[in-house]
Amino acid sequence: MKTIVRSLILLLAVLTLFAVSARAADINLSVAASLREVVTELGDTFARKNPDVKFLSNFGASGALAKQIENGAPADLFFSANQEWMDYLKEKKLVDDKNIAIFAYNVLVFAGKPDLKISNLQDIVKLNKIAIGSPASVPCGQYTVEAFKKAGIEKQLEGKLVMARDVRETLLYAERGEVDGAFVYKTDVQEIARNVKILFAVPQEYYSRVSYPMGLTITGAKKGETVAFFKFLQSAEAKAVLAKHGFPVK
Amino acid sequence: MELRVAIQKRFGNFFLDTDFIINGERVGVFGPSGSGKSTLVGLIAGLTKPDKGTIILDGEPLFDSSTGVNVRTESRRMGMVFQRPSLFPHLSVKGNLLYGYKRCATENRKIAFDDVVQVLNIGRLLDRGVKHLSGGEKQRVAIGRAVLGNPRLLLLDEPLSALDDSLKFHIVPFLKNVCEAFSIPYLFISHSLLEMRIMTDRILHLANGRIVEETTAEDLVRKRMGESMAGYMNLLQLSEPRQVDALYAYTWGEGQLLTASGDERPEGLFELSSTDIMLFKSHPEAISARNLLRCVVVDTFEAGNRIGINLDCGGGRLVAEVVRQAADELGITAGVEVYAAIKATAFRKLG
Amino acid sequence: MFGFTAADYSAMFLSLKVAVTATLLSLPFGFAVAYLMTYRRFRGKILLDVAVNLPLTLPPVVIGFLLLILLGREGPIGKMVLQPLGIKLIFTWKAAVIATAVVGFPLMVRSIRTAMEGIDERLVQVSRLLGARRLDRIITVIVPLSVRGIIAGSVLMFARGLGEFGATVIVAGNIPGVTQTIPLAIYEYASSPKGDVMALSLCAVSISISIVVLVFHEWLGRRIVRSD
Repeated sequence: MKTIVRSLILLLAVLTLFAVSARAADINLSVAASLREVVTELGDTFARKNPDVKFLSNFGASGALAKQIENGAPADLFFSANQEWMDYLKEKKLVDDKNIAIFAYNVLVFAGKPDLKISNLQDIVKLNKIAIGSPASVPCGQYTVEAFKKAGIEKQLEGKLVMARDVRETLLYAERGEVDGAFVYKTDVQEIARNVKILFAVPQEYYSRVSYPMGLTITGAKKGETVAFFKFLQSAEAKAVLAKHGFPVK
Repeated sequence: MELRVAIQKRFGNFFLDTDFIINGERVGVFGPSGSGKSTLVGLIAGLTKPDKGTIILDGEPLFDSSTGVNVRTESRRMGMVFQRPSLFPHLSVKGNLLYGYKRCATENRKIAFDDVVQVLNIGRLLDRGVKHLSGGEKQRVAIGRAVLGNPRLLLLDEPLSALDDSLKFHIVPFLKNVCEAFSIPYLFISHSLLEMRIMTDRILHLANGRIVEETTAEDLVRKRMGESMAGYMNLLQLSEPRQVDALYAYTWGEGQLLTASGDERPEGLFELSSTDIMLFKSHPEAISARNLLRCVVVDTFEAGNRIGINLDCGGGRLVAEVVRQAADELGITAGVEVYAAIKATAFRKLG
Repeated sequence: MFGFTAADYSAMFLSLKVAVTATLLSLPFGFAVAYLMTYRRFRGKILLDVAVNLPLTLPPVVIGFLLLILLGREGPIGKMVLQPLGIKLIFTWKAAVIATAVVGFPLMVRSIRTAMEGIDERLVQVSRLLGARRLDRIITVIVPLSVRGIIAGSVLMFARGLGEFGATVIVAGNIPGVTQTIPLAIYEYASSPKGDVMALSLCAVSISISIVVLVFHEWLGRRIVRSD
């Protein structure tokens, strides 16, 4: 009996060691939801040239991802949909300033059923229910609320806003028809929308420019492969892929 | 009251098949445990449905499988008292008593609340909850509740079986008085022949789901005398006790009896076995028995290998028993005068 | 105090409103189902039993998703019943009530059923013999004698309703002021790196309400026992 218990403990210890020391060629990505397809494609491209590398990707709202990283989730490269969450991690000394670069830009749009007679922000207040990302953690929602405030329609929209966990869920609500429309990025509609189309783009003067900072975390900066990937993402080849998916790169 | 029952009911292995017409106000259903008494009563009350047959009470069909009549229990207007009182725990005594009364149509309300309360002597219990009543009090309330429903027929399903002896005979007068006072016919179910004798006139004898005979309690008892070691139990209603030394002197008929057991209560029911009565052809001069009665033989009957002797003792009736030879020897026949000797200790007080 | 925003107070009010409404709505149905299960024999009784208890074993998100499919725009009930009548349920507080009611229904039925099954059958027979018809019996005998189960079931359902999240978030959505109950508000705060303090404050509120509810339940239970 004693020998069985001892060998079991030994086995357990060995297994844990293996778990802890992940393969050196694993790259942990924490990616804003709207970048899902483009980052996956770029990852695949990079992996074809570097067969050792394996990507472990985590997609979600930038704020939620930042919180996970702060709480110790493994991340080598963080893609945020706004400056705020990258600054947040900078403040917490989890990302180094010199390892941050702007990956892409985007545009905020309103999507809904094709026959909906909505053409600008003021028309929105006539609707019953509108989906936006939760401003507490979803950059898209933060941009949207910023636009509402600038357009002076914030108060009128009280009780009509359905909060989503990330920008993709926002779009999903509109896709399912459970809301009249949703504020998402142009690229999301392009990427996956089937039942809705862009009814109008929010005028840029109403919200700060959507930019995607990407940053190497302290752990990521130490991994050669991650640094290489980081550089690759700023190359012309990468920019071409971004353009293909509809992301402005300047 | 006339009850016609011709029904069949199968319960697993048990098969009830009864066909009878019975008339009267105090009817008994007698039989051993498992003979189907409670089943029969449940069918009459409508709590269960016969497989087929008819049940007709005072000319009104309550159940008829051929025409599809099946009057709901709620509409049969039958009262029922069970072995356990089953009082409503969430109602006061008064609430329990009035439950059936409230649901009785005004034109049918012949029995008044105050009268029942008085007869059953439960006036001081009215506002109490039912939880802390004694067993006897609970059963009295149960009887009152059933009676106040103004039933056409009262079904008493072993109402005394759960009570101990003293309590049993304490309740009996209440039960009799209430039914007599309000003229309620009843069906009294029990496996106790003693209870039958006190409560009923005609008896339906049930065994194994079938009616064995329709008889009277008296006949049943006499028949059993031959089979039982206890003989025939004489039931004597004695009154006006006086204490005489260590004994009680009770009035019985025109004479008196001396008993070893008794109490100060003005009335009492006593048991006296026929085997405890010794008969003398002539007056025995000195005898230890405290009771010596001069009797005339009314008639005799056979019970197995014994002879039961019906005696008239100055107004009161007693049944004594002797073996056949003794009867022949003493020449005991109707009209003969004998002396009956009974020890004071032979009387057993009931209740 | 605690720095609660208007949205937070809204969430507290909504939580109570949804839980109370769901409980009151479920009471008659819960009682009816418990009565059927206890006193009636019919074919398919087992199916009813399984159907009633199913929400207990299913993850709330599954229940929410199934409700969404049933009651949504494309769903059978949505298309054939709700739309013609002009009733919109999805993403309204009514959907939150339905989700809460469905999730808590088995709890209520169980409590009431247990109490009903504990009623001495003889008492019901006696009430019949004394002339009480079915509705009369239910009101004057069965309800009073199962009232403890009814209360326990209601309290359980109410407490469960206060904490309902999985089904609610799917079928009613997270709409501040309209469907955002306390659990949804806590979830939103907890997703944000800056929301921990507020999340904790709301947790404290949630716990306080639960304590009040449980203490009330105990007190009520004792009062009923002593009413002899």
